[in-house]
Amino acid sequence: MAMVSEGAGLRGPLGPEPALAQSGLAQPSLASGGDYFALLKPRVMSLVIFTALVGMAVAPQHVHPVIGFTALLCIAVGAGAAGALNMWYEADIDAKMMRTARRPIPAGRIAPGEALAFALTLAVGSVVVLGLLVNVEAAALLAFTIFFYAVVYTMWLKRATPQNIVIGGAAGALPPVIGWAAVTGSLSLEPVILFLIIFFWTPPHFWALALYRSEDYARAGVPMLPVVAGDRETRRQILLYTLVLAPLGLAPWLFGFAGVLYAAVAAVTGAIMVLIAWQIHRERPPADRAARNMFAFSILYLFLLFAMLLVERVWGGLLPWVAA
Amino acid sequence: MGRIASVGGGVTVLAMTSNEPRDQDKDGDKDGEGIVLTPEQQRARRSRSLALAFALLALVVLFYIVTLVKGPGVLVRPL
Repeated sequence: MAMVSEGAGLRGPLGPEPALAQSGLAQPSLASGGDYFALLKPRVMSLVIFTALVGMAVAPQHVHPVIGFTALLCIAVGAGAAGALNMWYEADIDAKMMRTARRPIPAGRIAPGEALAFALTLAVGSVVVLGLLVNVEAAALLAFTIFFYAVVYTMWLKRATPQNIVIGGAAGALPPVIGWAAVTGSLSLEPVILFLIIFFWTPPHFWALALYRSEDYARAGVPMLPVVAGDRETRRQILLYTLVLAPLGLAPWLFGFAGVLYAAVAAVTGAIMVLIAWQIHRERPPADRAARNMFAFSILYLFLLFAMLLVERVWGGLLPWVAA
Repeated sequence: MGRIASVGGGVTVLAMTSNEPRDQDKDGDKDGEGIVLTPEQQRARRSRSLALAFALLALVVLFYIVTLVKGPGVLVRPL
């Protein structure tokens, strides 16, 4: 009689792990450190780190660099844990989509049970460390973000409604709020505005991708808007959300926590976003050039807005030092 | 009671010393040899071990520095 101490009994969406199913024994893992890093969705994590950093930078108080670094590290690890939970639960979908079929779980390099244990360890660890070393408010927000992304978006909304990325986008919009809370221990209007910018940016960004990947999503059974409501309605929705997003991008300047440089960049890039959204609205399939432009430019748009906030804050901090 | 027959790749196989025939024996493995890792599995295990060691070391350094920064009241906070 033999017992397996790890992985046994842990079932992912793919069902029992193949090795266990065949022989009753787990095989030695072929996963490298890089495979586990890939589970954290590093590209998403980099955007989370950046927006959280801006949330910390625009906060009206100062934080010790070590504490600030610790907060960013915990937010990054927590976001990575949420990404790993997402990959664990969506392994069956990932296996059917070209874009995601080579991820560590569908490719068979990491067993679902190993991924789940890894993700839960990081999720709990990041929240606890953030709470102990920074503050409880930021830790509570991080815990909520992980829960919202892993449970509300991944397990509930994604396979249930075409509004999945609209509501689920709240999880991606929370990092600047967590960054602000890590510095101030409270919430205010400014982080809420940053939250709203990312929240309204998410639908045009992901629906543009879904427009030219709709076959992939349909094959995987994910009810993205182009699959459920059709190409034309998706293009209309992209335009509507962009028309809300472009003026919202100016809100940090209107509410006084961003300067003229930010306002100029937000106005110009917002106008370009509206122009591309209008092109998407006019475009008819199989043409997808405008959708691809929207997907690429929307990343640059969000980066530029947050980068300008950061530049103005850093420059504003340097001015008195230079004058002295 | 059982004994550890093999530890590798995060997998621990506990072989029970009962009268039942063991799975390894049925598969023709030599007694006590357990799972022999391939070079690829050994490389993957080394990579994981290094990543774990680095992460643990980073955590130790982080807690040490934060303790210095926050002083002895590092865990004292208003709720």
